[in-house]
Amino acid sequence: MSLLTGLLAWIPLLHPIALPTSARLWMFPPLALCIAVVYRATRARTQDRLLRGSLITFVNIVIGMWLIALAAYLVHAIALWLS
Amino acid sequence: MKPVDQTNQMIIAGLLTWVLPGAGHFYLGHKRLATIFGLAIILPFLTGVAVGGVKTSVNPHLNRWLFLAEMGTGGLATGFLLLNNTVGGLNARETADVIRKHPSFQQAPPEQRRQMQTTLQPYVAYYPASDIAQIYLAVAGLLNLLAILDAMTRAQTGGLPVYYHELPPAAEGEA
Repeated sequence: MSLLTGLLAWIPLLHPIALPTSARLWMFPPLALCIAVVYRATRARTQDRLLRGSLITFVNIVIGMWLIALAAYLVHAIALWLS
Repeated sequence: MKPVDQTNQMIIAGLLTWVLPGAGHFYLGHKRLATIFGLAIILPFLTGVAVGGVKTSVNPHLNRWLFLAEMGTGGLATGFLLLNNTVGGLNARETADVIRKHPSFQQAPPEQRRQMQTTLQPYVAYYPASDIAQIYLAVAGLLNLLAILDAMTRAQTGGLPVYYHELPPAAEGEA
């Protein structure tokens, strides 16, 4: 009942959404997709290949970020091992 | 006469995109591009405000650098700043004073401080929502700067994008 009351009292855009900490990771792909679409759209003469180009850029961003995260993790692990 | 018209068109396209993402491209006749730019910029902006709440996410007194990035989408940021000042009983500056525990807030009577904190409580976002909201809003604003430049370039070149390069006819013949 309290959950229902809370839900009814929630006003979108005014009250923040209570996101769990794990949601932080899953909020990255939609933003990366938007960045890929805008970046590709600024380079597109026609929109024929925009979808394909956007998807390629999106995959590049996600893989690139994953590799950066992996590198940072390895540097962190090595620093811990050396100390 | 024609270059003056093109200059006017460029300025109008840039301003329209600043006010509403995609509007400049729509004005130039690129309706599909307008939809793409509109969706790819307005959706992250609205997601940012929805996740973080308007009181703390669109507030120049809390984080002026974030607000500067948000102002890339000038119409949306201004609209939500007006909303921020209208709802919740406290304006943007008072909200920042309460959250940052500014001396003006600290010097208020205890009962008034408690009332202000209670009023503001449902509108304040905490980690991780506050971080995600800031990233979404800043990215949306900065992406719109790209869209503004693109609209202005397409107005100037008759529809060609920023990075479009074409070989001169002589070079094409040689190739």
